[in-house]
Amino acid sequence: MSKNNELVDDLVAKLKRRQLVGSSTVAQATLKLLIVVISKSNWTTCNQLLTLVKSVGQRLIQANPTELAVGNIIRRVLHVIREEFRDADVNASQNQPEFQSAPLTTSSSMYNLLGETGSTPDDSNVQYTSSLRSNIIQEIREIKDELENIYDNIKNQASLQIHSNEIIMTIGRSKTVEEFLKMAAVKRKFQVLVAESAPSYSGQEMALELSKAGVETTVIPDSAVFAVMSRVNKVILGTHAVLANGGLVAISGTHMMAAAAKHHSIPVVVCTGLYKLSPLYPYDEDSFNVTFNPDSVLGFEEGDLIEKVTVTNPYYDYVSPDFVNLFITNQGGHPPSYLYRLIVENYDPNDHTFDL
Amino acid sequence: MSEEFDVVENYKDLLRSSPELSMPVAAIQALVELIKHSKATTMSEFMLSIKDASQRLKSSVRNSISLSAGCDLFLRFVTRNSHDVADFETWKATLIVRGQSFVEKADACRYKIADLGVPFIKDGSVVLIHAHSRVVSLLLQKASENHKRFKVFVTESSQTQGGIRSAKMLRAAGIPTTIILDAAVGYVIDKVDMVLVGAEGVVENGGLINQIGSYQMAIVAKAANKPFYAVAESYKFVRLFPLNQYDLPTYNADTLSFQELNVDYEARVNEDGTIVPGSTAVSAASSTALSQTALHMKTSEDRASQGSNPLVDYTPPNYITLLFTDLGVLTPSGVSDELIKLYL
Repeated sequence: MSKNNELVDDLVAKLKRRQLVGSSTVAQATLKLLIVVISKSNWTTCNQLLTLVKSVGQRLIQANPTELAVGNIIRRVLHVIREEFRDADVNASQNQPEFQSAPLTTSSSMYNLLGETGSTPDDSNVQYTSSLRSNIIQEIREIKDELENIYDNIKNQASLQIHSNEIIMTIGRSKTVEEFLKMAAVKRKFQVLVAESAPSYSGQEMALELSKAGVETTVIPDSAVFAVMSRVNKVILGTHAVLANGGLVAISGTHMMAAAAKHHSIPVVVCTGLYKLSPLYPYDEDSFNVTFNPDSVLGFEEGDLIEKVTVTNPYYDYVSPDFVNLFITNQGGHPPSYLYRLIVENYDPNDHTFDL
Repeated sequence: MSEEFDVVENYKDLLRSSPELSMPVAAIQALVELIKHSKATTMSEFMLSIKDASQRLKSSVRNSISLSAGCDLFLRFVTRNSHDVADFETWKATLIVRGQSFVEKADACRYKIADLGVPFIKDGSVVLIHAHSRVVSLLLQKASENHKRFKVFVTESSQTQGGIRSAKMLRAAGIPTTIILDAAVGYVIDKVDMVLVGAEGVVENGGLINQIGSYQMAIVAKAANKPFYAVAESYKFVRLFPLNQYDLPTYNADTLSFQELNVDYEARVNEDGTIVPGSTAVSAASSTALSQTALHMKTSEDRASQGSNPLVDYTPPNYITLLFTDLGVLTPSGVSDELIKLYL
């Protein structure tokens, strides 16, 4: 148990110090930790296990609340645990006749208003078996596989989205978009315009990677996005997180690019793994943002000026869902209005907030 | 069948005795009462009596949308369970128990919605609401209890004067509230951070049927880029697919017709659609009193068309940002999903 605590402390510290950043990295680290915690700890009931995972989750989320992928992975795991216990419960009570069939009560929530209150697995007394533990671990490993193969599943849809001689615009450096464009370049010949994404200039890195892979790439300053938008066929964006209403938390500059695209009626496509999909709503548009070191905007060598001005360097933008036309996830393409369905499938409504 | 039990009378009694009861809940309660009194001996007789009763309920009021949502939900529940009946009497008893527990759950629904909606109310914001909705009032009261500081504009909503009722309730809860004219929605929209409306019914495509004025409010909100949230209990989801305003069951040939016959100029309309007649003699002398009642109608021609004015309108889903329901916060397309699950 103490060994587990050490591991949790370690990850908490890394998240706090921002040694671990980026949704993919933190998602994988979280999942790895949870596998260890679940397989090494003592638990016998569903409630015990849920509480255990939630308490670990709470600490990780508090360590860096803007890394929404941490919370998403924990919710996925909680969902898996509930499902496994529910399955075990159904198997155990199979020969007992019921007033109404079980799947009905679990599927229709409107119906539940009149129907029997279905027993939640939390309070059921499912007999603990070692096979239950291995089943849960097995399911979690499947999530791990999904995380590892995420780029393959997304990039396989590239040739459907990008056609020959198209001009694509993107911003920032997203591993998902990078893989997507490289894959498209195997079959198609097209041109990519990358906004340089000041002050991090991650767009420049992106352009370098793409040109190395043989994609015809042009870097443009962020200020030129609107000017060249009329010539673009499609905007392809990466994102840090996707919120429950289909809104994005993405690198600053994304909102401007999406707005320019909307003005010119250019389709905006967002490439994202499902682990970035969060069941949270943007109650406040700034709530998921962070401000970074302003040094890259106005360096300390400008001493005279720095005294007289305030410099802020927000890292993310919130992009509202009406700017996005399509999400490409590892499960296929979805319009923003469909995301609620994916949330229902992947997370349990009880886990949207972590109250112990 | 059940000649001695009048379901419509029972329904009206229920509404009269507890004004906090909403129409679909009262309808289900009345149907449960009917089952209690039912002397039906066969299944089909029983089903017929329920169907007949809900039909009578629906035709008994002018504005039957939320009522029919309740009736349909209950009917669906009865039909779904009618396949595996072992013993008729015990089955009837179960239905009664379920129906009664529904009434209790219905109340809990409102509290759940209020909890879900509270985080959307930002500190220091201004909220525009329309007419009177129990669940909207509850949500705002909850937000106030959670130490959110916000102000409310409420439209008076002539016809029912529901806005005045809302304002009284909200002021009593210590929320700064201002009543505005229905025509002033465009005027205040720039001062407003979000629009919140209740619902008579939520239709299959995620659109909204609500007190007249909601549609124009949604259009104004969209034009001003303000979020428009609808608040509705899931038992108000109704199987309708209106294509336009005139596609609602409440629409009839008299609605906004150009003929002006003997209309009660001062008639008011209650929430459930019953018409309260005004004093019949409208003399020129009493016209000053009339203007004080916030019925800002100047000419007699204007007043004449009052009687045939529609009570509800339909807001298409593309104007609705999100719906707060007891099933969670839904996008309009989430509503159809829930309805399909129920009726598939």
